[in-house]
Amino acid sequence: MDKDKAVLLKGITKYFPGTIANDHVDLQVTRGEVLALLGENGAGKTTLMKILYGMYQPDEGEIYVKGDKVTIRSPHDAMKLAIGMIHQHFTLIPVHNVVENIILGMKPKPGKSLRVENVAEDIKELGEKYGLEVDPYALIRQLPVGMQQRVEILKALYGEAEILIMDEPTAVLTPQETEKLFGFVREFTSFGNSVIFITHKLNEVMEIADSVTVMRDGKLIGSIRKTQATEGLLARMMVGRELELTTGEREKKSGESLLYVDSISVRGDRGNMVLKDLSLEVRKGEIFGIAGVSGNGQEELAEAICGLRKIEEGHIKLENIDICNQNSLSMIKEGIGYIPADRHLEGLVLDMSVEENLILKNPSDPPFSSKGILDWRRIKKNSKDLIRSFSIKTPSSSTKVKALSGGNQQKVVVAREIIIGTRLLVAIQPIRGLDLGAADYVHKALLEEREKGKGILLISTELSEVMTLSDRIGVMYDGKLLKIFQREEANINQIGLLMAGVTGERNGTNG
Amino acid sequence: MNGMGQMDKTNHDENTTLEERMKNRDGKGWLILWPLLSVFLGLFSSGMMMLLLGHNPIHVYWDMVNFAFRDIYNIADIFAKATPLILTGLAFGFAFRSTLFNIGAQGQFYMGCVAAVFCALNLKGLPSLIVLVVCLSASVILGGLWGSLVGFAKAKFNANEFLISMMSTYVALAIMNYLLRGPLIEMKGEYPQTDVIPESSWIPSLLPHTRLHWGFIIALLAAFFAYFILWRTTLGFKIRAVGMNRNAARYAGIDSRKIFVIVFLISGGFAGLAGFMEVNGIQHMLVQGFNPLIGAEGIGIAILGNAHPFGIVLSAILFGALKVGGNLVVQTSTIPSSIIGIMEGFVMLFVILSYYIQDRISVSRSKRQLKAKERGGHK
Repeated sequence: MDKDKAVLLKGITKYFPGTIANDHVDLQVTRGEVLALLGENGAGKTTLMKILYGMYQPDEGEIYVKGDKVTIRSPHDAMKLAIGMIHQHFTLIPVHNVVENIILGMKPKPGKSLRVENVAEDIKELGEKYGLEVDPYALIRQLPVGMQQRVEILKALYGEAEILIMDEPTAVLTPQETEKLFGFVREFTSFGNSVIFITHKLNEVMEIADSVTVMRDGKLIGSIRKTQATEGLLARMMVGRELELTTGEREKKSGESLLYVDSISVRGDRGNMVLKDLSLEVRKGEIFGIAGVSGNGQEELAEAICGLRKIEEGHIKLENIDICNQNSLSMIKEGIGYIPADRHLEGLVLDMSVEENLILKNPSDPPFSSKGILDWRRIKKNSKDLIRSFSIKTPSSSTKVKALSGGNQQKVVVAREIIIGTRLLVAIQPIRGLDLGAADYVHKALLEEREKGKGILLISTELSEVMTLSDRIGVMYDGKLLKIFQREEANINQIGLLMAGVTGERNGTNG
Repeated sequence: MNGMGQMDKTNHDENTTLEERMKNRDGKGWLILWPLLSVFLGLFSSGMMMLLLGHNPIHVYWDMVNFAFRDIYNIADIFAKATPLILTGLAFGFAFRSTLFNIGAQGQFYMGCVAAVFCALNLKGLPSLIVLVVCLSASVILGGLWGSLVGFAKAKFNANEFLISMMSTYVALAIMNYLLRGPLIEMKGEYPQTDVIPESSWIPSLLPHTRLHWGFIIALLAAFFAYFILWRTTLGFKIRAVGMNRNAARYAGIDSRKIFVIVFLISGGFAGLAGFMEVNGIQHMLVQGFNPLIGAEGIGIAILGNAHPFGIVLSAILFGALKVGGNLVVQTSTIPSSIIGIMEGFVMLFVILSYYIQDRISVSRSKRQLKAKERGGHK
């Protein structure tokens, strides 16, 4: 077979309980090139690469490395095939030094020993060759994150990797470190090696990749050469699911100001500022949509509003009352409902029943309990009422939520949050993974709440969803709202470009 | 029209998959079947060990059953042995409902012992009922406070409760040993043990001329209390929510840190109560190195009982029976006494294996469903 193809994946399918992480995905990497694997969080990129690296076994599909069909049962097998992986979360031992970490788990190669001094020499040489200098005797915990990543890379190089998988390597790096990393990637591939670069950042793709494979919802969307790609096209491939546009004329309901976010700054999980001086306003009876590629601070914004994330600077006001930095319980009491992005992780307790999940946020409120004792009769009644009015398909009210289909699980979340959110609803990706029927239902429910005069903040990476539902649309990029459109003046192409961070005055980062 | 058709189709699909799910859903029957199977396999494997030791397992088991149920004394003793095991089982099981590992029931038990014996020795001459109530409360409170330290460390410093609770046992042991060599040592001052506590502080017998005392009833009440808290109160609702999805609990405005402390307080209270049972109910004194395995056995019992209070009661009684029958078999034959430990060990091993298998089954079932669904979708 074609020796030029470093890696060829054919029809890789991986099931996880409840989801298909990879659905017949094909992928191909040529020698000497950088392949960007592009997709949003949860698109299945990392799973696919973990399969290539032997950490998961595919349920279906074939893997070819340099033309030979292979079975990769463990990372050990992968390393034997000269595949290395730089994980998003490093796998180094903090209390050991660089050399010790690099030789951990390695067998001496014929004619070579694993004496620390020799390895340290080799590491120095390798480092100089690729511009990845690091002190071989430094303890890992004393090294900054960027240096730790170097050690990870050196470990893979020392294992003679020719195919290097990098899982969002720039997420932890400063711009200068990123530049250096890109320098290494170019150098490394110039020797005929290959790099698979997992990312959801379009500008990185344009800068470093030779070809691009886009994934969405576990499926392969397409593979193109970089030369044929534009940021706008890639953005659309990444996020654009075609939805029936259930638009039509509607009267403007938006009234007075409800939520006022006043230039807030918020830190992300890694400690860096992910929201920078962001302001927005949601009025009563209005759906304010936020479009953007995921990972640009949307979730952090929602969490800040819902009292789940600390606000470093700025204020959030609900009808002129400052609700900044209160806990999530008081936000629930204020009447803010939150439909989170990941219903399994954040929205539901899957091992609890439908009726329990429906009171998850307010078990202490009457009539569900009095003096701390639950009133199961009332809880069941509440559940039966909501099951009926939201047409949740479940065998019974006491069925565990995990036995429900995705659409019905989401209906449980939506029903609960609509009850909780008497004033404001914050929804992230409310139709993620739903079939058309269920998606339509959720959208109608949101529109109904708008009619009732609630304010709704709709955050979605699916542009069509935002365009269909919103009265006003803000485009978020890198922690900022780049522009806010009125519904009438919104233009898909312009928004698509803004989502890719192209603001009109093109700066020269894209070569 | 088109849209309507689509809706109908999806509804139909959902119905069929739901029916399938209903059929092989983890019903109540399975909950009991798995532990029974595990117990059977555990006893079967122990039987194989007996064969290797040159004993006929059928004879040994037959003798065990005969001994355990020979007379009222032995039958009562099963329940007497089960009493503290119910409580240490609850100590682990209750915390486990919040996905917290209380490995420190042994230490909490010792603190309960110390509190009970201290009160009993210092309340001479008071009416029996008062002494008993004070001893009981003191053991629950001290055991609970000792446990809540673990919860506090977890809440405050995000410490690993598994490790901390385990280590806290050694600290408790050291405290108990110190007290037994110092302030609480017997009048003679010879051995590291207390005097016998006054008879007014003994838990009254439930059946005359047996070791079964009213503590068994209290243990049953404690199990009911655990059940009531977990499934009938908002606190229990939150405890279970934190246990099953800590992240979703956070989104629901539940402060997990508070829950950690409360869970360990209650959990430790159960283990402390076990101390009261053993000191005031059985031993009537406190001896160094006393009942050193009761915490570990509680873990196995809780796992066998699926961390459900009523399951814990049943499996504690099973372990009580194994102990009573096993002890008598060992005393009257040449079979080594470690066979009891082997039986307990095998049973626990198979219980844990059964969880793994159940998990595998549910994963592969979910995969099958996805595949079927996908094929349906491609048609």
